Amino acid sequence: MNYGHSLEFGTLISPASASSGAVVERAVQSERYGYDIVTVRENPGQSDGLDTWTVMSWIAGRTNRIRISSNVMSAPIHTPAVAARASASLDLLSQGRFSLALGPGTAWDAQGTASDHPLSGPQAAAAVEEVVEIIRNMWSSEQGNLRYTGDYYRVEGTPRGPEPAHEVPIWLSGLDQPQLRLVGRESDGWLSSAADMVPGQFAAANQAIDEAAKQAGRDPREIRRLVNISGDFRPSSSGFLVGPSQQWVEELLPLVVDDGVGTFILETDDDATMRQFAEEVIPGLRAAADRALPSELTSGKIRRASVRARRAPGIAYEDVPASIADHVIEPGDVGYGSVRSTYLRGGAPGLVIQPRDTAGVIDAIRFARKHPDLPFGIRSGGHGISGRSTNRDGIVIDLSRLNAIEVLDADARLVRIEPGARWVEVAAALSEHGWALSSGDYGGVGVGGLATTGGIGFLGREHGLTIDHLRAVEIVLANGTVVRASDTENEDLFWAVRGAGANFGIVTAFEFEVDEVAEVGWAQFIMDAGDTADFLQKWGATAEAAPRDTTSFLILGAPRPGEPVIASVMTMVDSGDPEVIVQRLQPFADISLLHQQSVQLTTYRAVISNAAGQSNQGQGEPVSRSGFIEHITPGFARSASRLIHSGATHFFQVRSVGGAVSDIDPDATAYAHRSANFSVVAFASRRERLDAHWAELYPHFDGLYLSFETDQDPARIEDAFPPRTLARLRRLKAQYDPENLFNDNFNVVDNELRSAS
Amino acid sequence: MTDYGHDPLFGVFITPTNQPVTQAVDLAVLADRAGLDLATFQDHPYQPRFHDTWTLLSYVAARTERIRVSGNVLNLPLRQPAVLARSAASLDLLSGGRFELGIGSGGFWDAIEAMGGRRLNPGQSVQALDEAIQIIRGIWDADERGGLRFDGEFYQAAGAKRGPAPAHDIGVWIGSYKPRMLRLTGRAGDGWLPSLAYLQSGPSELTEMNKYIDEGAERAGRDPRAVRRLLNISGQFTASARGLFVGPPKDWAEQAAGLTLDYGITGFILATDDPNAIEYYAAEVAPAARELIAAER
Repeated sequence: MNYGHSLEFGTLISPASASSGAVVERAVQSERYGYDIVTVRENPGQSDGLDTWTVMSWIAGRTNRIRISSNVMSAPIHTPAVAARASASLDLLSQGRFSLALGPGTAWDAQGTASDHPLSGPQAAAAVEEVVEIIRNMWSSEQGNLRYTGDYYRVEGTPRGPEPAHEVPIWLSGLDQPQLRLVGRESDGWLSSAADMVPGQFAAANQAIDEAAKQAGRDPREIRRLVNISGDFRPSSSGFLVGPSQQWVEELLPLVVDDGVGTFILETDDDATMRQFAEEVIPGLRAAADRALPSELTSGKIRRASVRARRAPGIAYEDVPASIADHVIEPGDVGYGSVRSTYLRGGAPGLVIQPRDTAGVIDAIRFARKHPDLPFGIRSGGHGISGRSTNRDGIVIDLSRLNAIEVLDADARLVRIEPGARWVEVAAALSEHGWALSSGDYGGVGVGGLATTGGIGFLGREHGLTIDHLRAVEIVLANGTVVRASDTENEDLFWAVRGAGANFGIVTAFEFEVDEVAEVGWAQFIMDAGDTADFLQKWGATAEAAPRDTTSFLILGAPRPGEPVIASVMTMVDSGDPEVIVQRLQPFADISLLHQQSVQLTTYRAVISNAAGQSNQGQGEPVSRSGFIEHITPGFARSASRLIHSGATHFFQVRSVGGAVSDIDPDATAYAHRSANFSVVAFASRRERLDAHWAELYPHFDGLYLSFETDQDPARIEDAFPPRTLARLRRLKAQYDPENLFNDNFNVVDNELRSAS
Repeated sequence: MTDYGHDPLFGVFITPTNQPVTQAVDLAVLADRAGLDLATFQDHPYQPRFHDTWTLLSYVAARTERIRVSGNVLNLPLRQPAVLARSAASLDLLSGGRFELGIGSGGFWDAIEAMGGRRLNPGQSVQALDEAIQIIRGIWDADERGGLRFDGEFYQAAGAKRGPAPAHDIGVWIGSYKPRMLRLTGRAGDGWLPSLAYLQSGPSELTEMNKYIDEGAERAGRDPRAVRRLLNISGQFTASARGLFVGPPKDWAEQAAGLTLDYGITGFILATDDPNAIEYYAAEVAPAARELIAAER
């Protein structure tokens, strides 16, 4: 009986203290020879044995690709809740390379010292089961403290978490019936040693495991069968796995075909044996298994029944293409907690797909197309406000793993950037060359969303919008084809991507011509804005009058009771000359009383490195309104002042645009609001209150910046795009996305089509 | 004036946060490259926002070349002594002698108990630490014949196999403040690792605390100089002098040297997660303080 698992191969290392260097060397060699996993034996009672956990952590620090597991860890010597956190840490630090193999232990003693009274039989299995239950519960993304009362272990209300980086498999060892039944009920894999088995024992054990699995409502294929093997390569045969490579292949094949073994773990301390196995037995056995089981080997992940139980209705989970099956996260999966929400929005998608390459994006789009009635979001950094890059029970394509940054042509400063990179990483990579690319005001934002919309950043007045630096894109269209768009290829599409990209496909690569930017001046002023209308007008006039090398952003919040409104003014001067910087900043400092000031000679990279690496944990639904305005007029300033003093907004920001942004013809890109000197946004917790005040501001605006607008009223589409732009977008939409697959973010589809769909 | 004569060590106390995942590792690598002596991490296994400190220490040691690593301090109630002893020896062997064992008797008993640990009162926890250190040293003593037998009130060993022996004489550094713990530090420790922030009247408290340690050492027939005195500090680099470790680096160096000469402190572990502060501390404070101390001695 075979369980359809793809064959994997590992090594088993016995860490002896006499040669700690050799232990690490064997792990590094395992990776070099192409093994899938390196496992570390635990001998808690052995005086010369190194501690398994320490060795595994060390190996994680010295390898890059190979997965790491214990083989096996004695459950009794670890406090389960601590072991859960340690496992999560190791998985996080190793970027998802850890597997936890647990055994009942040979020496039952909570202190890790020898004991005369090991637990056995049902008690041993019951104790291991408690350990597994506690660990799985600790890894969960559920809120609230964990309470667990078992016969052997208690947890009395400790917070859950952290989640590991991936679904850490729990493999169990054990040969007696209670242990095998536990394997079937709870585990992701059964780990045995060929040397312990008598003929027929695999079949009997598999039967016990499979029956227990079925009784627990599980599919026996959820349980990978792993076996430790050892042997010698000899010119002629003299016993099981003692002989030439071909003999090994022939002797191992029945274990795959008849006994369902999916993972072979070679126990050896000999480098030559490790190498010969990798070079001759592994390819030989793979080929032989392919011949013997032509259709059964799959690579898809088989999820536990408890995970499947949390699936959303309407998603054909079983039809996820094999090519991306290992790159999807379901609601029951470990890791879901860090992908379900975005920066400002809570969500609970039914499936998050994280493609690793363009082919994966194509397969993900094809899969999404089969679910036309479900919400469908595209996420790069997860900061989208208008783009709903999370949803309830729908599908999300999360591009965070598609994040390469590569210099294509250093002389032309041409850089290829993938959509999942974040601007903090882009700034870091470009700064190595003395370059920068103006993005937004926050490094945590992803490239994909911003670079298909606009990009109103700190260097905007000098260097233009982010999209103004775009020279070409590679984009996957709704029909799954990949096209290149630039000024000379698919020019219409290239025009549309620069301002309305979310309507047309998924850009898998952006090619930017970036700027030479050396040191910059960076000022943060905290200022009195008690006379808010006056302050707004003066700041607006100052920002507009400033030379192009100066771009200023302003943030105002609701005043605290009894205190004046405080303004935070952030200004970047694209100059390394302190005199120029001071000269540019002086007019801003003169606007009103300066409570605090900080002026630095720094780099664009340092300013945009304001993002931590946390996963997005937004909750609820953000409310924001956006508008473009040419000048801060007295009328606008009065209305804005009333909004700010009302307390209806907690964050009111005005960003300078104009300058180089206005040099571009409004018809040159789908971003058409080239005459605006300011982009205004207000965030609120209560939509109705904000709207009541925003209505007063609205007549002052000419257009809006769609990335900062949450309103889904179709009328807003006409604010986002002037008539000529919108008409052209609609024609192109019909051509490139006739089924309106990409409908989530300022959907430009004709209203007739919208109501029909 | 009290000076126990050790060469001063300069290190960092880095928050073992797991978000961003590699922040703590990156800072330790930076400290290593900057030339600091120690990268240390607090150990609160009940805190889900922190990495497991043992895993982090092992991973950091694997990613660094020269810097020594230590818990600051490890949480005994959630770490079993015999396992800890073997883990410590293993990490010391793998790292070529770069591990030191900072350890404490525990605190936050509600959280410890919630994780499945045993709740102890203050007196019991001192006794438990005393016993644990004996077990740890017993396991490390691989040359001693026969298994380790230990029958303590809180920990027992019934003929546990000894070994492995560490690569170097691992320092057992104890986080302690109260007389009983301080005397234990003098009796059984190789180092003392308090935090300046916990000394309500400032460094002047060190005099009396040192006395308890010296007393503990002498009663056990040890030379008080066997116990290195380290100190966790925090501070801020500012243009003008404002106080202890709040000022320009030159002042920091003078203040550190003063603590060495007046209170025998020869370990200065700066609590910071700011890469600039780490580089500044390594480049501007450590060498200057070393020079001052050498000159004064």
